[in-house]
Amino acid sequence: MLEVKGLCKTFPAPKTKKGAPIKEKDPREQGKLFHAVQDLNFESVAGEILGLLGMNGAGKTTTLRMLATAIKPSSGTALLDGVDITQNPIEVRKRIGFLSGSTGLYGRLTASEMVAYYGKLNGINGDVLDNRMNELFAMLEMESFRDKRCDALSTGMKQKVSIARTLIHDPQVIFFDEPTSGLDVLSSRTIVNFIKTCREKGKTVIFSTHFMSEVRRLCDRVVLIHQGKVYFTGTVEEMKTQSGEEDLEEAFLKLVGGEDHA
Amino acid sequence: MHSILTIYLKEMKEVLRDRKTLIFMIILPTLIMPVLFQVMFSFMEKQEKKAQAEKIPIALVRGELTPELVELFKNQDGFELVDGFTDESEFKAAIKEDKIKLGLAIPAETAEILEYGSQLEVSVYYNNASLTSKVIPRTQVVFDQYNEQLRKARFTALGVGGASKQNGIMEPSIIKKIGIADDRERWGEGFGGLLPYLLIIFCFVGALYPAIDIGAGEKERGTLETLLLTPVPRSYLVLGKFLVIFTTSMTAALLTVTSMGVWIAIKAETMLKFALGEVLSAMSFVDYALMALTLVPLAMVIACVMLSISIYAKNFKEAQSYAAPLQFVFIIPAFLAFLPGVELTWGWAMMPVTNTSLAIKELVKGTIDYRMLAVIFGSTLVFAMAALGFCVKWFHREDVLFRD
Repeated sequence: MLEVKGLCKTFPAPKTKKGAPIKEKDPREQGKLFHAVQDLNFESVAGEILGLLGMNGAGKTTTLRMLATAIKPSSGTALLDGVDITQNPIEVRKRIGFLSGSTGLYGRLTASEMVAYYGKLNGINGDVLDNRMNELFAMLEMESFRDKRCDALSTGMKQKVSIARTLIHDPQVIFFDEPTSGLDVLSSRTIVNFIKTCREKGKTVIFSTHFMSEVRRLCDRVVLIHQGKVYFTGTVEEMKTQSGEEDLEEAFLKLVGGEDHA
Repeated sequence: MHSILTIYLKEMKEVLRDRKTLIFMIILPTLIMPVLFQVMFSFMEKQEKKAQAEKIPIALVRGELTPELVELFKNQDGFELVDGFTDESEFKAAIKEDKIKLGLAIPAETAEILEYGSQLEVSVYYNNASLTSKVIPRTQVVFDQYNEQLRKARFTALGVGGASKQNGIMEPSIIKKIGIADDRERWGEGFGGLLPYLLIIFCFVGALYPAIDIGAGEKERGTLETLLLTPVPRSYLVLGKFLVIFTTSMTAALLTVTSMGVWIAIKAETMLKFALGEVLSAMSFVDYALMALTLVPLAMVIACVMLSISIYAKNFKEAQSYAAPLQFVFIIPAFLAFLPGVELTWGWAMMPVTNTSLAIKELVKGTIDYRMLAVIFGSTLVFAMAALGFCVKWFHREDVLFRD
């Protein structure tokens, strides 16, 4: 269960370098401040996959980082299973899992050392940790490479290690930040299947992407973010109805205000 | 608190599995001092042996006029008389061809000069382009002996008897030097400046790769975000990582001193021949332990600084480019202690890095002022704590951690 209430994030405006290509000024830049995310409101319930849909630079990663307590909101807050992310970040972290497309592994640790490390950091030790690891390694079919160093693993194996790492403390809410970016079809499918499993187990899944195909296949509901603001919240069907477009890409563009933004 | 240990153990495991770190942390520091000493001592030994074995070929013309002088040259070690020269005009070619190193031309009128008792001038031909020539000083030794003989004879002829009276005329007064510095202090001055310099370099070298690996490396591999999202307070993360860098830094420095100590113990006998060996053997275990302890707060400062720049950098490359100029911040003040005239005074005791360097130098010399040592240790420790505090603050800043 996740309730986002008026979440805002402001950064110092990026300094423009001399000689840099002239870009159209982002409307979010005001003087010395850059309002990356403004007044986000949405919610997500257990057993549902919520898609955070938006173009590059829309504010998806910033939003997820705030929700996961990596960075602090400038104002507003969110409740995660009733725990306030600004008041009690440590408690929030115990309840969340976070997996992004750029997540890496410690190359010189073995798969099991890697997962055990995150288990311990999450306060799981001893037999509980061992059992949990055995369970996960069996589920993800990782036994054959559990004692191999992460550097020596294939992309698919690495994905599985990342998944096991995300799940080791059995989080209730799981964030995926463009989890399939840069992955081939097979590795993407591992991730997509994993996201579905999370839903089946009754987890709250928040999933950011700019791939319409993933939205169509996975998302129960969609939050459409553009230039730091929410433009639409609802199911995929509602998205089509409201925009009057059958094609999701067309619907997306129409909802954020037409072609000129693309 | 348990998670500090978890982080420490995990990072150490990773560090120890990295070949590059192992080389800089263990192999290099272990080998550097023995290799350095071995080269130094074997060079000194070689020079000494060479000097003993070498015989300088010399030639005299009209040597029959000064049989006493010829006799002295024959008796003196290190000279070899070459016969067959009849005129000094032959010397130049012979010296160029390296047949002889030295040619002495006894004047033709020697008999008259000696008879009359005036000054005898012997021309000595040698290659004065050779910078390391020991020929002239050695020849001088022989002539000193010859002069002694002549002088005695002449004094006696003049009616001045007895060595004491003769000396009194030659040198009516002389100075007698009584140095109060012992060997350890004298030799410690030079070597004692070099040791802290090396120690501080190795503190830095030992910290470098682990620091880059566990700071910027986390960003480059994309593991930092995940780590920050574990329910571990940031200060624990900093402490765990700090302790790893501190460990590798101290390990590198201590291995440098330990391998030096072990080498000295093994080679004690050969080294005692030389004054430097005596200095090193004179240092007790307490001296070595104090040296290590003096280094602790400085290694802490280095670890904090390295961790701060490493976590700020986006990747390995950037971290390395920050670290490169940074090493001079530590190495230059460390080097100051090596310069002649820089002594441990209260003024220098206030200068970070240099004070640690000077304190170690004084420990080598055996002349440390323990009050000053305590002040240096204490002030650097305060400095280290401030640096650690800064590091924790630094780890809370979003513009440091997320610079993409």
